[in-house]
Amino acid sequence: MSDFYEWIRVSFQALAQEGTIPQAFEYGFVINALLCALLIGPLLGGVGTMVVAKRMAFFSQSIGNAAMTGVAIGVLLGESYTEPYISMFCFCILFALLLNYTKGRTQLSSDTLIGVFLSVSLAVGASLLLFVSAKVNTHILEAVLFGSVLTVSNTDMNVLLVVTLVILAVGTPLFNKMLLASLNPSLARARKVPVELMEYIFVLMITLLTVACLKIVGAVLVEALLLIPAAAARNVISSLRGFVILSMIFSTISCIAGVLIPMQFDLPLPSGGAIIMVAASFFIITTIIRATFPAYKEARN
Amino acid sequence: MPGPSIQCRQLNLTLSGIEILSAIDLTIRAGEIHCVIGPNGGGKTSFVRSLLGQMPHSGDVEFTWESTDTPKSKTCTKTCTKTSQHTIGYVPQFLDFDKSLPISVYDFMAMICNQYKPAFAGFGRGNREITEQALERVGLHGKSKTQLGSLSGGERQRMLFAQALIPQPELLVLDEPMTSLDNRGEEIFLSLIQELQSQGVTIIWIAHDLQQVRELASSVSCINRTLVYAGPPEPFLDSDEAAQLFRFTRPLSTPPKPSTDPDAELQHE
Repeated sequence: MSDFYEWIRVSFQALAQEGTIPQAFEYGFVINALLCALLIGPLLGGVGTMVVAKRMAFFSQSIGNAAMTGVAIGVLLGESYTEPYISMFCFCILFALLLNYTKGRTQLSSDTLIGVFLSVSLAVGASLLLFVSAKVNTHILEAVLFGSVLTVSNTDMNVLLVVTLVILAVGTPLFNKMLLASLNPSLARARKVPVELMEYIFVLMITLLTVACLKIVGAVLVEALLLIPAAAARNVISSLRGFVILSMIFSTISCIAGVLIPMQFDLPLPSGGAIIMVAASFFIITTIIRATFPAYKEARN
Repeated sequence: MPGPSIQCRQLNLTLSGIEILSAIDLTIRAGEIHCVIGPNGGGKTSFVRSLLGQMPHSGDVEFTWESTDTPKSKTCTKTCTKTSQHTIGYVPQFLDFDKSLPISVYDFMAMICNQYKPAFAGFGRGNREITEQALERVGLHGKSKTQLGSLSGGERQRMLFAQALIPQPELLVLDEPMTSLDNRGEEIFLSLIQELQSQGVTIIWIAHDLQQVRELASSVSCINRTLVYAGPPEPFLDSDEAAQLFRFTRPLSTPPKPSTDPDAELQHE
């Protein structure tokens, strides 16, 4: 796989030297960042529509927080502090399964329960992470929270690629069933959809996605990138197809622009922050469009 | 394709310590229109969901499917009703969803019909025609591109009926389908119910309007925590007991016109 990445990097660098594409592409890390952006953009945009339709935004936020604990545990257990994937995956998957299991077996409403998990995971994650970063490397905290796309390694790209393929292979054929399971569980059961299983599969998808995107977008902001492009698309679209496609487009443009603009203008911004700011501008624009043109207003009533 | 007969014995349902249903013995014959009536909060929906195996009930529920080639009887106890090879159409009471979601009627139907092709990628082979036919039957043709959030309550109910027709059901379960229907929708529903019965479909219908029950039901069960009555509709509906139970719901002689307000459904149970 690394040969393949190398080949892409070399071809881009050649193009940059010829002057066909901007000078920044002479650097290998810029090309890495761009490749990641091209992968996570459509992925987060597509899955984001499901997150919005299933009202699971805060669920993914708490997984993001859990990932901080995962990083800290990984470092404490002696994993490399730049790639503690084993600990992150293990801890986040356990956390997600526990949350989903509890959700089905408590009297609490799901937003209360997720609120509890969200704050606990933030408290534990922040405490452990601060403890670890003081001991090992103070830059861990910043990178984990807000992403540092310029330090993306081949391992990071492999993880991201595998997760993308898994989510495509699982999420595409089960899309209808997962959506129906949350729209009306009773109807879904009558139609022989295993509702509980679908919930678990979706939760695991979100978990894999969150961990794989941590390096690029950051723990705090993964959820934002799931949510904002889909919310922006929803403002101006009336069919499911348009919703998914537009959300993917918004998300991809946000990722690419969020990675390239700070580099081009030499701005010391964390990649996650930049990506979300671009995404937010899409949301603002679509909100204005929706408020301005009566056609959109009517469609809502 | 003939519908199943359903027999339940000593069906009990307790949810978080509260007894919802107790000791219900009931037989629903194949191919009949069976109306479930009873006061609001009496456990009608819970009863029907228990029959469908969606509730943690105790007691036996037995479906007997009479297939034309090999007669087979599937017996299941406890929480399982093995109906995997058979088609159950289900019309929920209403669809609870975020009204601003960009899902059109076509998207919803594609989500229901398509096996693996995601709804956003359009219909799978032949599913568009099947959907068109079903929407035509409930009088919703021409609404295919409308968003769910923009449909009226009655139209949404008709769409839910349309999905229950795909594929042709052997057992049709209707949970208070008339709640938010307009007059035309009601006519469509009543004629569809009759049409399906003539094809041999077994129909379980949680009904509100006792006049409609009187006209269409082959048998009736009245559920109020337990089974109050089971049998033909007339004797019960004319009894003092029924008058007592339904005094506060709709009077028999003048069924009121259901509201067409999309939010009306929220005021019911």
